Amino acid sequence: MNYRSLRFRLIGYFAALLIATTLAFGAFTYTGLKRFLESTLEGALAHRAGQVAAMAGNIPREGEQAVAEEIEARYAPARNDRFVRVTRPDGPAIYLSNAPNDRSFDPAKIPPYRTPAAEGTRREALSDGSDILIVSRNSNGFRVEVGASLLPGERVLHRLLIALAAGLPVLAALAIGGGIVLVKRALQPVAEITRTAQDITLRHLDRRLPVLASGDEIANLSSALNGMIARLDDSFQHVARFTADASHELRTPLTIIRGELETLVFHGALPEDLRVALSSLLEEIEHLSRIVERLFALSRLDTGEAQSERVRVDLANLAETTAEQMCLLAEEKHIELICANEGQVEIEGDRARLKQIVVNLLDNAIKYTPEHGRVEMTVKTRDQSALLEVSDTGLGIPETALPHIFERFFRADDTHSRSTEGAGLGLSIVQSICHAHGGSISAANRSPAGCLLTVELPLARKA
Amino acid sequence: MRILLVEDEEKVARFVAIGLKAESFAVDIARSGLDGFNMAEGSDYDLVIVDLMLPELSGTELIRRLRIKKPALPIVVLTARDAIADKVLNFEAGADDYLTKPFAFAELLVRVKALLRRGSGNRSNTLRIADLEIDRITHQVRRQDKPVKLTSKEYSLLEYLASNPGRVLSRTMIIEHVWDESFESLTNIVDVYVRQLRAKIDEPFQQRLIHTMRGVGYYLSEVENP
Repeated sequence: MNYRSLRFRLIGYFAALLIATTLAFGAFTYTGLKRFLESTLEGALAHRAGQVAAMAGNIPREGEQAVAEEIEARYAPARNDRFVRVTRPDGPAIYLSNAPNDRSFDPAKIPPYRTPAAEGTRREALSDGSDILIVSRNSNGFRVEVGASLLPGERVLHRLLIALAAGLPVLAALAIGGGIVLVKRALQPVAEITRTAQDITLRHLDRRLPVLASGDEIANLSSALNGMIARLDDSFQHVARFTADASHELRTPLTIIRGELETLVFHGALPEDLRVALSSLLEEIEHLSRIVERLFALSRLDTGEAQSERVRVDLANLAETTAEQMCLLAEEKHIELICANEGQVEIEGDRARLKQIVVNLLDNAIKYTPEHGRVEMTVKTRDQSALLEVSDTGLGIPETALPHIFERFFRADDTHSRSTEGAGLGLSIVQSICHAHGGSISAANRSPAGCLLTVELPLARKA
Repeated sequence: MRILLVEDEEKVARFVAIGLKAESFAVDIARSGLDGFNMAEGSDYDLVIVDLMLPELSGTELIRRLRIKKPALPIVVLTARDAIADKVLNFEAGADDYLTKPFAFAELLVRVKALLRRGSGNRSNTLRIADLEIDRITHQVRRQDKPVKLTSKEYSLLEYLASNPGRVLSRTMIIEHVWDESFESLTNIVDVYVRQLRAKIDEPFQQRLIHTMRGVGYYLSEVENP
């Protein structure tokens, strides 16, 4: 799984947000409920304390015993799980409620009040760890204390906590599951757009991305991208047309210059120095024509116009026979030309163009290898690709030049003479042919000397 | 031999006409497609050279119409358009040969002569230039009656030069004829093979037969300036 994918991140954010919200909601509910329970209890206790205090006001008139009995009879604190204590100003208790039914506390063990005459609420810790909330009132010097255990409230809170803890993972799971489904549905068109966009190359600019009828952001994106592709297509067509026009415009004057010069050289009675000059001009025109031809060849390869035929070709055999035809070039420089192949390597393509790859690569290698060097060519199969490797023992390519050697008119060596005519386009043409065949070319230096050019082409499908 | 040149580009028409006249052809020039069609239909030409971009009637259309009227007339297309689709279209229309501008005049001449020869069927099995003898059937080469051993590429090169004696052949023409279009970028291979061939054919003997015309190409001839 790609952790940086939009899908993963969206689901992550979504789940995190939902869990955080739930946690905040739980905490809010918990504290709110806790405060509510305590304040309700405190209110009830204060009310009761007021009532008991009123009764305690009757002690001088009715006597301690009667009032105690009346409190017991009217409020039955033990049955109501309440704590009631009435204390004389000098200390001893006039009334103390019995242990409550739920045995949550022992009234006898509740410590006496510490600050006399203080009215208010206090908490006393019980031996079992729970708290008891006590409200105190003063009445005619008697102190009235009414209390209740906080345990029942804590039990409710505890149950809420359990419910929250159990619910959260379920909620998170639901959130992630729902998120996956939602994001998947939302991103489905994006995946489709990506697939189609990958198929749109320079050769298929007439294709367009699918536009959903939903009218949503994704549909807008597809239409915007389609607009961009249309503009690309337009400008590319424009360039192609321009190249075709330029080709015509350049060729006609070149034809005339060449023709006129040839007429002079062939038929004119010329002084020798003029003949030499004209011959030199003819050589330059030949050179210029060749550059023009190659540029047009390149532009045709780019537009896919040159893809004339597609046949099965044994690359190993093609490389071998081509190398044989070129061995004399190597022999001239006493270069050892070795062709090492591992049996048939079938690919599909235009035979003449594929041969041009071999010719240009070998020519290049021989050109840049000093005398008595070695040029080696191998054709082999690796994975699903055919590999054509040409290595030499030449000077190699400067590291800074490596990324540029397939660029048009690039020369690794500026001092190299023009005698290697048109060499600035040879590798560009090879690269264009490779691309037209769905392949690629790369270059690397070898140690201790020389360079290695590797052409990778897709193998022919099994017949 | 009479040749009709249909070309609206005045300067191209001029030097092609001069070159052809120098080779003893009679040359007429038509400046538009319609003129070209009328002239070709009305007179008896041995060969027609047609540019494609013509006023009034396109070269392709001219070829198509002419082919119906004169099925045997050789037609050479001369054009700046070199896309494969253009070539196919014009061969289908009825063209016999196709030459892309800028072309070497020598190449036009060789192609014109080849087309004119095709009708006559006059092809000798033995080529003789001075004391050089080439047997086109057994591929045996002799000079001063001494056999010379050549590789097959060397033989093809020699045969091509010898079958156009005195005619300058450009490196591009030699590459296309002896090798194939994949080698078009490799004009130096021609120089290497010519050097090799000279070492076997010329150097052991007094008289040199293979000559260089700088800026243009190579030719085989008894004399240096034919």
